[in-house]
Amino acid sequence: MKIWTIALSTFGSFLRNRLLIVFGVVFVCTVLLMMTPLLGAKAIAKMGNAQQAQVMVLGIVAAIMFFVSGTGSLLAAWCAADAVASEMKSGTILAVMARPVKRWEFLLGKYAGTMLLMAVYVVMMYGLSWLLAWIGGERIHSTAWVLLAYPMVRYAVYSALAMALVTVLHPLVTMGITLIVAVVALIVEPTGQAVTGHWKYVRWPLWITLPSTSLLSEERFLTITHASLKQAGWLEHLTTLAYGLDYAAVLVLMAMWSFHYRALTRD
Amino acid sequence: MPAIEFHEVTKVYRRRLAGQEVPALTHVSFEVGEGEVCAFLGPNGAGKTTSINILMGFLYADWGEIRVLGYEPGDVRAKQKIGFVPENFAFYKHLNAEKLLRFHLALAGGDMRKSAGLIRDLLFKVQLQGYEKLKIGKYSRGMVQRLGIAQALLSDPQLLVLDEPTSGLDPSGRKEVKDLIHTMKKEGKTIFLSSHILSEVEQICDRAIIINKGRLVRMGSLNELLGTGDLVEIVADQLPAEMEPVLAGWGATIERGVQGVRITLPAARKRELAEKLWAAGCDVVSLVPVRSSLEDLYMKLVGSGEPV
Repeated sequence: MKIWTIALSTFGSFLRNRLLIVFGVVFVCTVLLMMTPLLGAKAIAKMGNAQQAQVMVLGIVAAIMFFVSGTGSLLAAWCAADAVASEMKSGTILAVMARPVKRWEFLLGKYAGTMLLMAVYVVMMYGLSWLLAWIGGERIHSTAWVLLAYPMVRYAVYSALAMALVTVLHPLVTMGITLIVAVVALIVEPTGQAVTGHWKYVRWPLWITLPSTSLLSEERFLTITHASLKQAGWLEHLTTLAYGLDYAAVLVLMAMWSFHYRALTRD
Repeated sequence: MPAIEFHEVTKVYRRRLAGQEVPALTHVSFEVGEGEVCAFLGPNGAGKTTSINILMGFLYADWGEIRVLGYEPGDVRAKQKIGFVPENFAFYKHLNAEKLLRFHLALAGGDMRKSAGLIRDLLFKVQLQGYEKLKIGKYSRGMVQRLGIAQALLSDPQLLVLDEPTSGLDPSGRKEVKDLIHTMKKEGKTIFLSSHILSEVEQICDRAIIINKGRLVRMGSLNELLGTGDLVEIVADQLPAEMEPVLAGWGATIERGVQGVRITLPAARKRELAEKLWAAGCDVVSLVPVRSSLEDLYMKLVGSGEPV
């Protein structure tokens, strides 16, 4: 009940956060701008060169979804960091923590509020992918839960990472580190090519330690043509999602541990 | 069982990057009994807010033992019985008073079915009725402070911890808060109050604890602290002229007024003077110990940094 109360309050604060509103407006404008070449490609298709246009359309849709999905990870990290840091900076945490609320309950409430916001984002993202596919003259064949669950787990990992970091660091430093982690995690992904030199000794530990963005990417399953439909069994889904949830759970526990020992006074 | 126990509490702020250590509290010990209204006094930076933050479980002490209502600071069982008004009460600006109080009631584990009546009563008590729907961001400083007190009273607390509850309030706002504290005192609540307004503290509190530079300098009941007993003031309807040289020899001061003669003299001579006055056929109107004001005592102690 207390966790849910804090989560709802956090979600309400996000909806009124000016920075988030500006982010939303910029985001919508960017997506609309990215749709211009998509509509252009559609026009080319109408003029005759359908196959070339189809390739263009699919490329543009993939680019938009990559942008939307990638931005979501950073949004999740920023929201989680801000949810905790802003309470400490403003001092509102003092009145809240004077109530019979345990520190871990407060942090879990903040985390749940962030995930609530990301759930809304994921649903909107799902709607956008349907819309883009429809504009491209195709339809999405992947099952809905995959497109909803995978990004949610990925966002759960990034928001947990940011929350763990913000309990000991400044929110801007937290965001910087989260961004670096996201980029490095992409770089160290196995590509199938042979790795030589000392890099192989660094790459594997990093690949094991950092959250795998591509593994948890819904783009593995986001297909809008039958030809490129990627099939995955229940076991693959289960192990991949369990990997992400386990990673997030460990980070949340670390955040709780760190938050338990820190001062709650204004930074 | 005391409501608050501080035993040898020490807190040092460490600035790791600068390699600095700033002692905030050094072996501070005091107790606040149940039902007492206790003032916690000291200049800015004396360690009052640090002590309150430790008491509430927001900060951890480096050393010492603390008990709040018999529990460790931050224990939810203690927090269930504590109402807290932080210095410069911060709030969610997008909420109105009603929603903020409902939020705090939910966190306090209160009965949400009875929330409407309880919130209405509390807002009436702090004179914020009619402003329930106004966003808190539009409240004046005094209204915010009163709302802070309302949220502290939500769960009918046994112990109230008020950190500068009247700071930033105008005289009428201060009077309202003072009246509220009087009401809570009558209800038998323990009140631990940090304030800079000493004249108010003198009117409201039973006891005072004075700290300076992180060290306890004096504590006790206001009677112990202010009624030092060194001097007494006797008011008589008249004073025979032959007694004046005797009084001058005792070091007494004499003031004549419309209500009679006011004689201030060392307490050791009070009985002797009273008997002489009666023997001379004078009427003793009053005999009271001369109390120094809390402000005088505070300036004396904080100025000298005298230890307990």
